[in-house]
Parts: sequence; structure tokens; C-alpha cells
Amino acid sequence: MQGTENIPGKVHFSNTGLTSKDLPRLDSLNFEMLSPLYAKSNRYITLFITLFIISILFIVQLQHFITLTTAVNNFVSYVIWVIALVGFMSTLYTIVADKRKFYALRQQDLSYQSGVIFLKTVSQPMLRIQHVELKRGPIDRKIGLAKLQVFSAGGALHTFEIPGLPLEKAESIRQFILDHKDVNHHG
Amino acid sequence: MDKSTTTLESDDEVTIQPLASKQNTKDWQRISPIAIIYFLAKFVVGFLSNIVVFLPALYLGYDNFIAHPHLWLPIGLAILAIIMISTFLSFYFFQYRLYQDHIEIRSGVISKKYVNLPFAKIQNVKLEQPLYYRPFGFTCLQLDTAGSAMQEAKVVALKVDFAEQLKVEILAQHKIASSVVADAKAETVNDLASKNRNNETILNTRSITDLIIHGLTNNRIWIFLGGLAPFFDDFGRYIVEFFNGLGIDLEKFLTFADKPMWQVGLYALTLTFIILLPFTLFSIAGSIITFYQFTLSKVGDRYIRRSGLLTKYEVTMRLSRLQMVVRQQDWLDVILKRINLKFEQSNSALNQYQASAENNRIIVPSINPSECLALVNNVYPTNKMMTVDYQKISKRFLLRNLGYILTPIFISLLVFFISVEKTNLLMAIIPGYLFVGLLIFMRWFRWGYAKDEDFIYIRKGYFGVDYYCFPIFKSQQVQFKQSWFQKRHKLSSVRVVLAAGAQDIPFIKQEFAYQLLDNALYQVESSRKSWM
Repeated sequence: MQGTENIPGKVHFSNTGLTSKDLPRLDSLNFEMLSPLYAKSNRYITLFITLFIISILFIVQLQHFITLTTAVNNFVSYVIWVIALVGFMSTLYTIVADKRKFYALRQQDLSYQSGVIFLKTVSQPMLRIQHVELKRGPIDRKIGLAKLQVFSAGGALHTFEIPGLPLEKAESIRQFILDHKDVNHHG
Repeated sequence: MDKSTTTLESDDEVTIQPLASKQNTKDWQRISPIAIIYFLAKFVVGFLSNIVVFLPALYLGYDNFIAHPHLWLPIGLAILAIIMISTFLSFYFFQYRLYQDHIEIRSGVISKKYVNLPFAKIQNVKLEQPLYYRPFGFTCLQLDTAGSAMQEAKVVALKVDFAEQLKVEILAQHKIASSVVADAKAETVNDLASKNRNNETILNTRSITDLIIHGLTNNRIWIFLGGLAPFFDDFGRYIVEFFNGLGIDLEKFLTFADKPMWQVGLYALTLTFIILLPFTLFSIAGSIITFYQFTLSKVGDRYIRRSGLLTKYEVTMRLSRLQMVVRQQDWLDVILKRINLKFEQSNSALNQYQASAENNRIIVPSINPSECLALVNNVYPTNKMMTVDYQKISKRFLLRNLGYILTPIFISLLVFFISVEKTNLLMAIIPGYLFVGLLIFMRWFRWGYAKDEDFIYIRKGYFGVDYYCFPIFKSQQVQFKQSWFQKRHKLSSVRVVLAAGAQDIPFIKQEFAYQLLDNALYQVESSRKSWM
């Protein structure tokens, strides 16, 4: 194949998985949990946003500056119910979904698993990483969390992300990626 | 920089000098003044593509312009002068220099732009020769880099031979970088430059007939129609008036109630044909303009595509930059036994620069199967794209799409229409259901996958059929997906992300999916080969 002439022979390869069949196996990754604060903050954020929208709508309904027709009034109360329902459902969903987000670190790659009904495991080999970012929103900063973003040539659509990592953990993973001896040879 | 006026004329001379001597010139140089035409053309094109915005103003102002020429003429002239001056300034401020294997470009009149590209980072070199450059022997040199920090640079007017020389040198950088021998550098470059043209083996050329076939089978009319959408109403009115002028009352003509079915069918057919004909002609013209005198040739590990009627394009791709080979056939291609072969490179730039991404891949239009086989084997000698045994994806793909999605929707629509007694709508949704059902079936029928030691192969399509083939070690990222329902049947979907886009294989055995992904990761991580 092309390019082989430039590769200095077989390099010692190790990528410690749990089982020792012939290849390291993805179906037996050693998954780790995200920070419990992540699920908690997500829950509160969803709840807060729902309550915020509902209270605004209530204000609209109860204010006396502009009189609403009964049709509009009915419509607004209908919308309030729908939003309350959706907010409640999505809070329930985040409670379930956030428990099912895991990440795994191996010597050569990172993996992130998520999804309740549709389970998805994304694996990113270190060798193909172009750069790493830590993203921290205002809430993340408050509670000491960070989101790790890893970019490859696969494009922005396929950015590898692990949310809800404790800051030190995120920084150490970032350093681990940067120290990986192959990363800097690319891009 | 202030002595620039004198260097203007001497520019041609400079460019003919051997590259080595000016390799380390610290001086900034200006390109040839012919670039003024380029900037002007760019401005005009930019203006024309935005003309829709100006049209109402022009329309409203027209009478005004005519009524007060003494007022508007100076303004018009002033605008013209501004355009002239700004194009001249664009040219004046466009400077570049080659310095220690870097190319630096400064440009911009008001907002200044500075690009510094090390040769080694340049992924792709393209030569683009607009019509008006050809008599003077100039060309644009476009440099692309890969990576998430997207930088592009274009030197807009260079002598052709100098550009060629530069191109060879830039492309040679990687080889030199890896073979460490610093002294041999100059030699290698000169070698490559002198052998450049003679060494090329021509792999494929396309005749006009091929291009016409390409235009026919690859109708880009839908894009064209999309662009025309705002004018459809006017269009329709004009057509009706036109026929009225001929003494044909279209509306009466097209009242179907009193006519037999075959006549209506015939009308529809003729009408479709009349509408399609000009668009097909457009499509053929487009194909000829893009692919005129198409040649694909090879020097060493580089593939070079040259084509173009008005603007000549030259795209060079190193074999190592190739991410994926796509063998594409639409339904009409299947009938005519023609194939569009695509060599896909990294297209992470796709979102930002649609047009340049289109140019980034090498398309060989409408070749026949044996030519296709020869080309595919040329790039990937060990591939078995056409001989490998493709496994069909699970029948549960059909069950999900037909059984759990399409049919429930259909039945609920059916019940709804019957309950509101709109039975005539049934005539529309039953054929619709059957057609979508057929599409889903064909999708399942076509979707196959295979894998050997080095490659993953995917077959896809509806009525046409596309084959995808990529080396496993080019993977950027892998994804394993599984829903509850799939899990019960030990099925799953995989996605392999390449620099040229993501490839999906749905509904395959879980065991095979894991095997495929484990193997992909292993090949990437153990081979340590670069993807570009």
C-alpha cells in the first residue's frame, strides 16, 4: 500500500483492553462515569428553563396592560400545559439518560457511550486527533466541570465530545492526549 | 516596496529565473499586472451573483436615470472609477514572497490579510487558468491546507512555467521531509521539474461523446431549477402568453375532463419533454464546459486532472491524500453502462468552501466498466471492489422502515381520508405508498458491505448503484450504534468517519460490527500511518 515505505517497520503496539483475545475489544471497554454533578446540573437546568417559560406565560396571562381575547387566553393556557408536560418529560429523560453516559480511556483511543433507546458508542483513535479543546460554560465553571472536545479530520459534524468531566480529570485527559507521542506529528 | 513601480515590468523576468535563486528572497513581490483583469472579473462575477438585490433599485431608478442624465452620468462614472481604482488597489496590495520553504501572501485593500503557509503543510496545489489568462500564459495557483484551522491561499497571476515549477517543489516537500537527506533537496526539485511533463502517463481522456453522455445522465437541472424558483410565476405567465400569441389556448388545451386518458398522458409526456429538453441541453453544456479535454495522468505517486473549456483547471492529488474511491452509477448510467468514478480527498473544508471542495475531488466522468476497473486498480492495486462478495444488510431494515414507519403512517392516513370521505385523495397516497415502498426495498436490496485485509467496501443505491471502497487505516473515528430493538436481534449499525465524510452500514450482525470496528481501530493505531 501507499505510504508504507516511509513507515519505519512494525512499531511495538499496545492498547490494553480488558480481555485478551487477539484484538482489543470495544464490547468490553472499561467505562467510567461522568461527574454526578453533571446529571444534577442538567436536571436543574431543564427544570429551571421550563419553570421560567411557564412563569413568563403566566405573567402574559395575568397582566392587565393588554387585554387578551378569550381565544388567545385559551391558547396560552394550552401552551402552558404542553410546556409543563414537555419539561416534565425531558427532566425525567435527563434523569434516565445522564445515568447512561460513560467514557472510556485506552492507551490508543477514547470512547464515549450515550443513549437510552438508541445506544451509541463513539471511538476516537488518538493518532487521528488534530486538536483538543476544553469548553466550560458559566454553570460548568461554577460547579467545576468541563466538556472535552476532540477534533479530527472527520469534520465539525463528528467532533468527539465528553461532557460533564471534573475539571482536573478533563485537564489530565487533555494532557494525556497531548502527550500521546503521535498526536503532534499530524495537522 | 516603494520601488514597486519599477519592479512591475521586471516581474516577468523574475519569474523565469531558476527557482533556487529566488528561494530565499526576503523581498515581497507583486504579481503581474494582468491580475487586474482577474480582480475585475471577480468583482463583476460578485456583482452579477448579487444582482437580484440590485434589480429592484435599477428598475425603479431607470426612468429617473433617463430623465436626469446630467445628474446620474457623473455618479455612474464615479462608480466606474471607484471600481477601477479598487481593482487596481487590490492588485497593488497583493504581494507574496517565498522564504525558507514558506509562502507568504499579503492582500486586501482595507481589511488586510496575511497568510503564511509552510510548503510542508500544503495539502493540495491547483492551477486554475481563466480564459483571459490563456493568451498571456498566466495562471492562478491555489494552495489548500488540510486540518481544522482552515487556511487557503491563492496567488492570482503567475507565469505558467513558474507556477508549474513552484507546484512541483511544493509537492516534493513531503518526500524530502521524510527522506531526511537535506543536500539532495535541490537536485530532487530540479529533477522533478525537468521530468515533470515527460514522465506523465496518461491514464484516461474523455471525448466529447463521453461528455455529452455525462451531461445526459447527470442532470444537474434540479440545482438549476432551484435557482430559478423565484421566477416560476412569471415564467408560467410568459409561456401562456406565448402560446396565446400562436393562437393556441393552453388553458382550454389542458382541461382534461372531456379528453380520453391516452391523450392526457401524451400531453403530459410531450410537456415534460419540452420542459426537460432545454435543461438537458444546459446540463450537457455544463458537462462540456467543466470536463472539456479531460485528461487524468500520473507522475510518480501524483494524479493530475486537467480539464475545462473556459477556465482550465488542474488538480493534483498525491496518492496518499486519497481517502476513498467511489464508483457511481445512476439508473440511467446503469442502462448505458457508464460510471462516474470519484477520487475523494479530505473535504473537511466542505462547509466553508463548497465550490473549492467540489474541485478538491477528482471525478472521471462517464467511463465504461473496464476503464473504471483499470483506474481503481491503478490507485488501489490490491482492492477487490468488483469481485468481493457483498453481504446484504439484515431484512429487519425492511421490517423497520416498511413495517414500523411507512405502513403505520399510510394506514392512519388511509383511515383519516376515509373517515373524512375524501376518497379521491386515496388515488394520490396509494401510488405514493407503493413508490416509497419500492424505494425502501431497493435501498435494502442494494445495501451491501464487505471487508478484506486492507479495505472496507460498501455498496449502496436505489435504482442506481454506488460502490465505496476505502483503506481501513484511513478511518478518523468509528461509531457503534444499537437500538433496543436491534439489541434483541443482535443487530447493530456502524459508522466509519473518514476525512472524506462518514460511511454508514446499518443492520449488520453485532458480532461483525464489533469485529469491524475493533479491526479498524487496530489498523489505525498499530500501523501509525498518516491519513494524508
